[in-house]
Amino acid sequence: MIGLTSLAQAAYPEPMAGATLAHYLAVSAIMFVLGLIGFLTRRNLIIMFLCTELMFQAAGIALVAFGRYHLNFHGQTFVVFILTVAAAEAAMALALIVLLFRRKESLDARSWEDLKG
Amino acid sequence: MSGRLAFLYPEIALFVATCVVMVLGLSRTLKARKASAWVAGLGLVAAGVLAMASTPRMGQASCPISGFVYHDGLTPAMGQVVLAEMVPYVKVMIAGIGLLLLLTMAGTVDREDEARIAAGQAVFDPLRSNRAEFYAFVLFSLTGLMLTASADDLIWLFLALELTSLPTYIMVAISTARNRSREAAVKYFFLGALGAAIFLYGFALMYGGTGHTNLNAIAQHFREHGVSTLSMAGVLLAVFGLCFKIAAVPMHFYTPDVYEGAAPQVSGFLAFVPKTAGFVALLLIVGAVGWEYAGHSAGVTSLFAGDGMEPVKHAAGGRQLPELLRLTLWVIAALTMTVGNVLALLQSSVKRVLAYSSIAHSGYMLVGLIAGPVGSTFTTNGVSAILFYLAAYGVMNTGAFAVLAALERGRDAEGHVGEAESFDDLRGLCASRPMLGWVLVVCSLSLLGLPPLLGFFGKLPLFSVGIAAGEIPLVIVLGLNSAIAAYYYLRLAFTPLLDAKDEGSAAIQAAPFKGRAVAAALSAAGVLVLSLAGGWLMTKAAHAGAYYPSAPVKAESAPISDEPAPLPNDVHE
Amino acid sequence: MIESFTLASDLSGYLPISLIVLMAIAFGIGNVVISQMLGPRRAGAVKGQSYESGMNAVGTARKRFNVRFYLIAMVFLVFDIEIIFLYPWATTFPNLAPQSDESLLWLLRILFFLFTTVVAYVYGFRKGVFKFD
Repeated sequence: MIGLTSLAQAAYPEPMAGATLAHYLAVSAIMFVLGLIGFLTRRNLIIMFLCTELMFQAAGIALVAFGRYHLNFHGQTFVVFILTVAAAEAAMALALIVLLFRRKESLDARSWEDLKG
Repeated sequence: MSGRLAFLYPEIALFVATCVVMVLGLSRTLKARKASAWVAGLGLVAAGVLAMASTPRMGQASCPISGFVYHDGLTPAMGQVVLAEMVPYVKVMIAGIGLLLLLTMAGTVDREDEARIAAGQAVFDPLRSNRAEFYAFVLFSLTGLMLTASADDLIWLFLALELTSLPTYIMVAISTARNRSREAAVKYFFLGALGAAIFLYGFALMYGGTGHTNLNAIAQHFREHGVSTLSMAGVLLAVFGLCFKIAAVPMHFYTPDVYEGAAPQVSGFLAFVPKTAGFVALLLIVGAVGWEYAGHSAGVTSLFAGDGMEPVKHAAGGRQLPELLRLTLWVIAALTMTVGNVLALLQSSVKRVLAYSSIAHSGYMLVGLIAGPVGSTFTTNGVSAILFYLAAYGVMNTGAFAVLAALERGRDAEGHVGEAESFDDLRGLCASRPMLGWVLVVCSLSLLGLPPLLGFFGKLPLFSVGIAAGEIPLVIVLGLNSAIAAYYYLRLAFTPLLDAKDEGSAAIQAAPFKGRAVAAALSAAGVLVLSLAGGWLMTKAAHAGAYYPSAPVKAESAPISDEPAPLPNDVHE
Repeated sequence: MIESFTLASDLSGYLPISLIVLMAIAFGIGNVVISQMLGPRRAGAVKGQSYESGMNAVGTARKRFNVRFYLIAMVFLVFDIEIIFLYPWATTFPNLAPQSDESLLWLLRILFFLFTTVVAYVYGFRKGVFKFD
């Protein structure tokens, strides 16, 4: 129970002191790779979009972790702007997806193959 | 801080114009709606003039327009410094080619609706109209492109690149009423988001490796401490992500589909705007990591001065890119050229040929990026070569796409206006519509790089910097690819001269928009004028490519103290 | 310097947090199990409704919504994102010297930023986003 009381303290919680930069980077790298794999393997447009969002937020985690490591605020500032861009992209993605859905009644990327590369 | 604002006067002018266009384009009267395009043009002219007049130059004491005094010439706090002279050149180029592109955009959206309103069959419905958004997006994208050029920070660079790209996705979607455009937009958007996520992660790792987001500070960190593995991973990811913007090999798949699906004028926009943004961003990032041929042209003489024909691997005291980065760029460049040119041979659609050739042109320009500023003259500075090639490519390529935009077929079964797409559609163009036909001939020969034309003067310095930097194998690849490109460009140039097929050209008619034909004529005129009297542009480009590897970096960067707040239980080791 | 970091080998630091996670899981599962054991079970058409003892459901949940909801969501998003940028400004502004040139500059900056939002709303108004008919 000693550990639990320290979690409730306002100060930097003792149990998290064991977490180093590497932990955060590992989480961020895993998120990034999961997003990449998901983007390449899934064919549902919304899932594909969520995967790119996952990659964006992976970069966000890495930036905040690095910001803490370097003890400056650049990383956190960057994240605020990433959130903005991610919101703009989400608005745009939903608009495009709605546009497509109205034409074909399907969210499957494979139902759109008029253009062959 | 106010001195730094002088970098941004052009963008502010464009932004104000964008706001006006966005509101004016939704007016009830046709006259006010039509005025929005003129406001957009006016904004671009203003931005170009401001870029010429107000952008701070290295070593200047005060801003020419507002009179703000800079403390000791150009300081890092005022903007990006490694390639400071590039900023005004790139912005004026963007404003000029942006005007050409804006002319080609005439009548792209709302054609059917406006016709119905004019005939009294409908009333203007702001929710259905696209004109305001379309022109506003054109301007937003160009604003983002200008911001990319003045970026001195990774955050700024990321935002500017996104501001360049995001509007283009919607422009593709609304450029025609056909499903093809929707599909192209979704493809473009998803790959664009993937590319953005990749270079964003690269930026995050670069910040992690150096502790700075300021490009000047990053460059100094790399000079003092070398490039750590983490930073190198970041730089490589950033390069891969930016490959999407320039349509280079690992991320080039979307190009032909998107160019084919979008209206030709929008394809022309895509071929210039994101590509320029990508190359400017690559120059900034790669410039922060490497090159640094100290002492500018020490030990390197201009290849065309007569005697200096021996290739120089390393200029005196200089270093090239870190080997891993050089190798990656080398492979990307070689593959991009080859894939683009070889696949262009196999296409039957003119738009797809131009799309694949756009990939190939990116590959050519990467040679300049690998070589870097070996010397300080036009023929030995890779940065100047890229900057000149971007301007040249912008003019000739806009001409080619403007011709396609100025032609159209009759309506198909669904009532959509068709485009001139296959080579057969272009046969006999010189006879039926001489002006457009000859514009296409001139522009394709120039894109091929035929000696007296502009494209040749663009390609020449790429060869010479490649040799000057000792990249002989890459220069050979470049030469072979230029030969391959000759095949399809000659085909494109001679098709308008052939006799028309009976039914092929008959269905082709001129689009009822003067702007597109005017843009085509202006582009061809630009190609010819710059071919004959382009010396001043080369001088400007040589000046713009000036590289300041060891610009002093001041500690102060923002009004708020960068001192970290003391936090309890520091996680630092 | 980054390379010098190692993964913390001391796993005991995770004990409290895993305790909390365990408690959270136990609480969730416990509630389900207890309600399964104690609660009465009756099945029927009325009990199976989406809103039992509430209003009768009208139509299916997979109904298409008016696209205006999307527009309203976008308009909201503009505010939503704008707030993010106001917070850092608001925490920094009091630290500047009052009535100095610098604080005036900062004020003008945020006013310009707010002005851009006004432009977005003027555009939205003219586009007819706020017309509910």
